[in-house]
Amino acid sequence: MAATTLAQAVRDHVDDGATVFVGGFGHCVPFASGHEIIRQGKRNLTLTRTGADILIDQLIAGGCVARLIVGYVGNPGIGLAHAFRRALEAGSLTLEEWTNFTLTLRFHAGRIGVPFLPTRALRAGDMPKHIADLATLTCPYTGALLTAVPGLCPDVALVHAQRADEDGNVQLWGIDGDTCEGALASRRIIATVEEIVPAERVRRSPELTVLPAHRVTALCVVPGGAHPSYVHGYYTRDDARFAEYDRLSRRPDDLDAFLAAHVHGVADREAYLGKLPISDLSWPVHHGPGGRQ
Amino acid sequence: MTADIESRNLALAASLELSDDETCFVGIGLPSLAAMLAKRTHAPRAHLIFESGAIGADPRVPPLSTGSPCIAENAAMLGDCLDVFGELQAGRIDLGLLSAAQVDRFGNLNSTVIGDYEAPRLRLVGSGGAHDIASLANRFVILMPHEPRRLVPKVDFVTSPGHLLVGDERAAAGLRGGPSALITGRGRFSFRCGEMALVEVFAPFSVDEALEGLTWPVPVDEAVMRRSGFAPAAIDAYARLERLPAGTG
Repeated sequence: MAATTLAQAVRDHVDDGATVFVGGFGHCVPFASGHEIIRQGKRNLTLTRTGADILIDQLIAGGCVARLIVGYVGNPGIGLAHAFRRALEAGSLTLEEWTNFTLTLRFHAGRIGVPFLPTRALRAGDMPKHIADLATLTCPYTGALLTAVPGLCPDVALVHAQRADEDGNVQLWGIDGDTCEGALASRRIIATVEEIVPAERVRRSPELTVLPAHRVTALCVVPGGAHPSYVHGYYTRDDARFAEYDRLSRRPDDLDAFLAAHVHGVADREAYLGKLPISDLSWPVHHGPGGRQ
Repeated sequence: MTADIESRNLALAASLELSDDETCFVGIGLPSLAAMLAKRTHAPRAHLIFESGAIGADPRVPPLSTGSPCIAENAAMLGDCLDVFGELQAGRIDLGLLSAAQVDRFGNLNSTVIGDYEAPRLRLVGSGGAHDIASLANRFVILMPHEPRRLVPKVDFVTSPGHLLVGDERAAAGLRGGPSALITGRGRFSFRCGEMALVEVFAPFSVDEALEGLTWPVPVDEAVMRRSGFAPAAIDAYARLERLPAGTG
């Protein structure tokens, strides 16, 4: 597989109206891919992942999103997702709300090719009343009542990872969360990586490979592609940017100005990184704790 | 100053809910702080588990997110969401530590919406893993600052089931556990027939102060305990943790 540009991959594989799985559970959040989707003006997307953070909020502010299938939307440890909140209160966004466990189970069902999975969650409280797709089933062995959650196969997944070989075998280590379940449930995968390494390095540690080449639709080399989230062993989380986003996203005008400067106003990730304060730049790549040879 | 005392009481008292060698599913914010305190004091062999998949976590600074670098670094194992929620569903997690925007007299938690679900006055972040932890942990403990507008007779939305309404509604839904205690900065409440009752107050607060602003008649234990303070080593551990900036580390 020849690596392609992220712009080309998004043009080719993210269609208006598609259901897009957004990888990255705090770690390796695919900000570069999300920003490219905003730049290209994709519309009416359904976005899905368990814990949705500020990248999802930016995609909503960018006008790309019609529907969310999520377990949580916020700015972790800091507060609410303001564009999300405004869109929901204005009625311009459809929300299908699960829990982080039950949504992971939906991806898992999709990944392993079964139409549903049973769970003991979503049995009580107000959440089940607002989920149209829930069913109750009786265990054929014990007679116990369980909740059935339907499998979910997104059209395309966005995943950022440490590295891949030229064939597209993607290696990711550190926090996974729901990333691999969601990606492998998806029909297509756009993978962005910090670096391409020789195949023999991948084959020396095949246990680090999470997406095998035959499942990866497009491979793009995008160093810094997860900023302001982090890449284990490469660069750390830029917590200050998350706090700053809480402030600037409270007013729609400020948020528009942010998108104009840091998304629409840059051609690609390299240009985005060039606009950051110098103190934010913890690359070039290092292999400190958590690094792999 | 009172706010500082309440914050410290809350973290220290909540940490005592976790025993050594127990497995504990930890949420972000106050729950992380309490779990980290327990690890640094009376429960060094407690196994902290975060929904991002970290098992045997021992973060050096309070985390902002369950996926933060400080959760990954120093953990015993990094699995994925299925690993940790699977352990939870299988009944292998002793304790969950949870906070929320609102909690009610039956220990039901709301992190979804203030006002009506379809026409929210304030839309919140949603369940995350909270519903799953409340439903599936063998027991859970609620951490809540003493803010009367957040301690209510009935939550606007039951995101995470506590005892639901008085009775055996929870068991009827096939759920194990339930809330075993609610900790504020002023006191400890346990649940009797599903309803919270004050069983302990923390100095310098009186019973009246522990119930100040609550709008329903909260039962008070006849032999309510009065905790004069916490162990000096625990107070030191709190002071060291509290000085650290939350985040990356």
